[in-house]
Amino acid sequence: MSFEYHEPTSLAEAVALGARFGDDGQFLAGGTDLIIQMHRGKLRPRHVVSLHRVSGLDAIDANGAVHVGALVTHRALERFPAFRGPLRALVEGAEVVGGHQVRNVGTVGGNIVNASPAADVVPVLLTLDASVTCLSPGGERTLRLEDFLIGSGRTARRPDELLTGVRFAGLAPQSATAFLKAGRRRAMEISVVCVAGRLTLDASGERCLEARIALGAVAPRTLRAHEAERFLEHRALTAETLREAAELAVAACQPISDVRASARYRRLLVETLVPRVLARCVERVREQAS
Amino acid sequence: MATSEPRVVGKSLPRMDGAGKVTGTAVYAADFALPGMLVGKVFRSAEPHARIMRLDTARARALPGVRAVMTAADVPDVRYGGALKDETVFARSKVRYVGQPVAAVAATTPEAADAALAAIEVVYESLPAVLDLDAALAPGAPLIHEEWASYTAIPILHRDGNVCNRARIVVGDVERGFEEADRIFEHRFRTGMVHQGYTEPRAAVAAWDSSGQVTVWSNTQLPFEVQNTLAEILQMAPSKIRVVVPGIGGGFGGKLRVGVEHFAAFLAKATGRPVKVMTTSVEELTAAYPRQGTVVELKTGVTKDGRITAKAGRIWFDTGAFAGSGPGVASVATLVLAGPYKIPNLHLEGFAVYTNKTNCGSFRAPSGPQANFAVESQMDVIADALDLDPLELRLKNIVREGDEGPTGQVLQAVGLEECLRKAAAAIGWRDRRPARWRGKGLACGWWTTTGGSSGVYVKINPDGTVALNTGAAEIGTAALTGAAQVLAEELGVDLADINVVSADTFSTPFDFGAQGSRTAFAVGNACRAAVDDLKGRIFALAAAQLGVSADACHLADKHVLADGKRISLADLARLSQQTGGGLIAQGTFIAPPTAYDSKRVDGHVYPAFHSPSFHAHAVDLSIDPETGDVTIHKYVVAQDVGFAMNPTYIEGQIEGGVAQGLGQALSEEIVYENGRVLNANLTDYKMPTTLDMPRVETILVQHPSLVGPYGAKGVGEPPNIEPPAAVANAVAAATGLRLTSLPITAEHIALALRDAGA
Amino acid sequence: MSKLALTLTINGERHEILTEPHRTLLDVLRADLGLTGTKENCLEAECGVCTVLLDGAAVNACILLAAQCQGRAVLTIEGLARHGDLHPLQRAFIDHGAVQCGYCIPGMILSAQAYLQEHPSPTEDDVRAALAGNLCRCTGYQKIAEAVLAVARDRSARR
Repeated sequence: MSFEYHEPTSLAEAVALGARFGDDGQFLAGGTDLIIQMHRGKLRPRHVVSLHRVSGLDAIDANGAVHVGALVTHRALERFPAFRGPLRALVEGAEVVGGHQVRNVGTVGGNIVNASPAADVVPVLLTLDASVTCLSPGGERTLRLEDFLIGSGRTARRPDELLTGVRFAGLAPQSATAFLKAGRRRAMEISVVCVAGRLTLDASGERCLEARIALGAVAPRTLRAHEAERFLEHRALTAETLREAAELAVAACQPISDVRASARYRRLLVETLVPRVLARCVERVREQAS
Repeated sequence: MATSEPRVVGKSLPRMDGAGKVTGTAVYAADFALPGMLVGKVFRSAEPHARIMRLDTARARALPGVRAVMTAADVPDVRYGGALKDETVFARSKVRYVGQPVAAVAATTPEAADAALAAIEVVYESLPAVLDLDAALAPGAPLIHEEWASYTAIPILHRDGNVCNRARIVVGDVERGFEEADRIFEHRFRTGMVHQGYTEPRAAVAAWDSSGQVTVWSNTQLPFEVQNTLAEILQMAPSKIRVVVPGIGGGFGGKLRVGVEHFAAFLAKATGRPVKVMTTSVEELTAAYPRQGTVVELKTGVTKDGRITAKAGRIWFDTGAFAGSGPGVASVATLVLAGPYKIPNLHLEGFAVYTNKTNCGSFRAPSGPQANFAVESQMDVIADALDLDPLELRLKNIVREGDEGPTGQVLQAVGLEECLRKAAAAIGWRDRRPARWRGKGLACGWWTTTGGSSGVYVKINPDGTVALNTGAAEIGTAALTGAAQVLAEELGVDLADINVVSADTFSTPFDFGAQGSRTAFAVGNACRAAVDDLKGRIFALAAAQLGVSADACHLADKHVLADGKRISLADLARLSQQTGGGLIAQGTFIAPPTAYDSKRVDGHVYPAFHSPSFHAHAVDLSIDPETGDVTIHKYVVAQDVGFAMNPTYIEGQIEGGVAQGLGQALSEEIVYENGRVLNANLTDYKMPTTLDMPRVETILVQHPSLVGPYGAKGVGEPPNIEPPAAVANAVAAATGLRLTSLPITAEHIALALRDAGA
Repeated sequence: MSKLALTLTINGERHEILTEPHRTLLDVLRADLGLTGTKENCLEAECGVCTVLLDGAAVNACILLAAQCQGRAVLTIEGLARHGDLHPLQRAFIDHGAVQCGYCIPGMILSAQAYLQEHPSPTEDDVRAALAGNLCRCTGYQKIAEAVLAVARDRSARR
């Protein structure tokens, strides 16, 4: 597992090195995915570009729109005070990633680029209509996160690009988020299925104005359940409509059977967790209002 | 014997080796290193069943840093093993499981060793793989060991093709017993393969000296057995092989037999340098000695008021490509299948069967959880069908003092009724279904305290401290602290005065090993024997010094007291060193054989449970009916430990054993597909975390054994036995579902509820 | 492949290390510095026996490149006891019977230490959540949780 190690001290230097090495190189953030894949022989980069001395990528800015730097750790995300309210699902997703040790060093950016279909924070970001910024020597570009994620372990990042951050607009009033994860044990789990939801309700709190549902571990990439979302918009939120939305979400997913779970069980979990996540959003909007 | 009020035994004193462990200074085999040491790694088969057509190590040998590459051609052609000698160090002409060792390398760095493994060229010709029990037992099944009949085995085994033992218990006449029954119940159960999950990999360092002796530092639980096995494998006298155990990070039966020691020894000999071999997580989950998966068929006849009239059962152990502990485990299983019940007619068989999977071994109460899962699940089905309380059904049939066990042994110190009643009371048994989707389950069982001999040397030092020299290995149970408590009690000193030296085949006396819940029991008794011997010398010396008669002497407070006079043990030791070679004695202990009726057993390696323990578990849990998730509200264990030598560490054994049992019950399984393990990593081999474990309430019941020190019985294995059945029974109470396959995952529960139309 | 010259601060002491870039902090601690109190097992951040504190935060040394630790403070189990006196967590683990085989214990104690520094009054559930990244196969976690809670209560009482 031998490689050349580089420690740029600025963003420009990091980007230049990344561009120079292209597919022969890997950026190293926390290393909680990269180092394991290298140990298992799945990745054999000739160059590793460590980002730990690059400043400016580990800030969270939440004045209105929210910007999360790529090197923000899951731990920092968990603790960010502004995420305790309507954006709570960000904390709920972050706090179930691995154990404390992994959360202390693993980064949001690294997690996005790793593009596991079972990622926990990614579905939450999708419900927030997040977009990511990538920097290359040629400049910066912004893509919707949904377009950035292409497949299992695959993103739209070009070999000469560094993901620098993820952003999303602040939530409209009467909005709330929720996240639930299913696994065989209560910690140290890679999701068997996870579901993130975001609802924006009307002033009465009875009717849905906007819905977002994202599903993890049921497709090659984290999935938005678009049809379920469209179904809910402008509908009254009853147990029945939540159930129907869940069925549409189940229809949208393409789960596989593997050693963690059967496809049938994964569908059952989507069917069960979607209404629970949405009901929790409704509850939270009502709590926030009172 | 002690004075009426024990000072040291029975107290929850802190373990003697704690300081080293909490400060990181304790050295485990995985930590052990010697100057100039090379790294050894094993090249393993990628095929479940295949002929080796070509094996070429030339490229590997030529790589920089590689100092040796060895294959079957480089080692003596020896078959070794326990009851059945079918194993070889490296595969010769054929590989029989994915993970079977084919070659080993030694190199200067881990990277060089990995490069050497990658450079070994092998060509296989696939053979039809025998993937499971059905395939192995089918008529005309491929033979995994074509030459099985030529293998050396203990004569008592019944072997035939892919069956490497069939053990049987027959009592009375089961057919007549079934005729007497009002109802007959037949069930089939299935349990998965599970790994001991010790957090320290198996590790060994070997170094040869100029006299041709090899020393192996290893985390084995059985240093003397490893010494003997290495002697067979290396074709040397055992006295030229020294096995030392620096420290063990958990064993649970997975570190009994040679795993890496032989590779280290061969590579060290070939290179002239010390060599260290350590397993990886992948190797542990593909090529270790896990608990066998099983299929159980159980048929039980009862009268309508719940008296058991007959039981017939068969349990098949998928013991993998080599017999390992299979033949013995298949025997023990028949006693577990009988259960702690009075049953006049029995026909019970255990089979150890070869398949093309890793050779399985012993894991904490081998056969216990698998067979008990079947027995205790069925008991609840019977209770339900007869409209009887499951507790009452058990109380109606359990053995009590003086009753016979299944092989005719007379049972004494039977604390089972007390365990059942107390566990039931603690869980609130009267309200078995406190809420929708919530239920309580019970399970009970019995287990052995394995025999075998233990020897100790005890020496009193001139400063008054006492050296306890034992061949036993401390695997974490604090058994040696318990034994030292016995020694301190008997000598009239404090636990802090004792220093333990252990587990070195060169300098410590023989010990049968840390297995079968025997260590505190046997080493404790060996200490008592040593003190009995030592007392003679101590009192003779004291009598001469004090001018009293030896008969007037007794030990107390680190002194010999007699007729109002006293002299310290320290002084006596100093005097003895000057005049008589020192105060040192030897003690040995071997449990007296347990009488049983040999006509009842056949092919049976383990026909009676010695100083048996009895236990009952109760659990209160809820199910999420949509996701199937299980939440345990309360878990209770009532265990008859005979005498609680150190209550805190006994609780620790119970809490830890339940954790492993719940892992087997709910989440753990090594999953094979087409002869390959799908989840050979700790991400997907799901052991319980802090958040998965409930608190365990422990009730220590004490019906003193006639043999153990102060009446103690073995305590380490039993807590692992009942959790799967207790959980299955609680799930049944909560959902009406009877799940007969382990692990009982949320998926199984959720899908079964769906299928049942819930 | 060129070696890296690193200065690592371990338990307050500076160590000059020359090592290949791929070597992890765990490799350097155990093989180069003889600090075997930090344990090795899965090497994939799944078991926690390799837990050390990096600038006070619990991390898995097995997946941290030694190079990533340049300029940062590493605390291992060997650095916890002061002048031969056991740290209260070490004392409590012994007193509460929380140590069986002991292999998971260094990592467990350090995770607990990091947690208690920031959360002085945890509930049992909090403590269990804090230790969820440390597997123990011997104890079932009960006495470990009790030991940590006892230390927390003790510290609160003394405030």
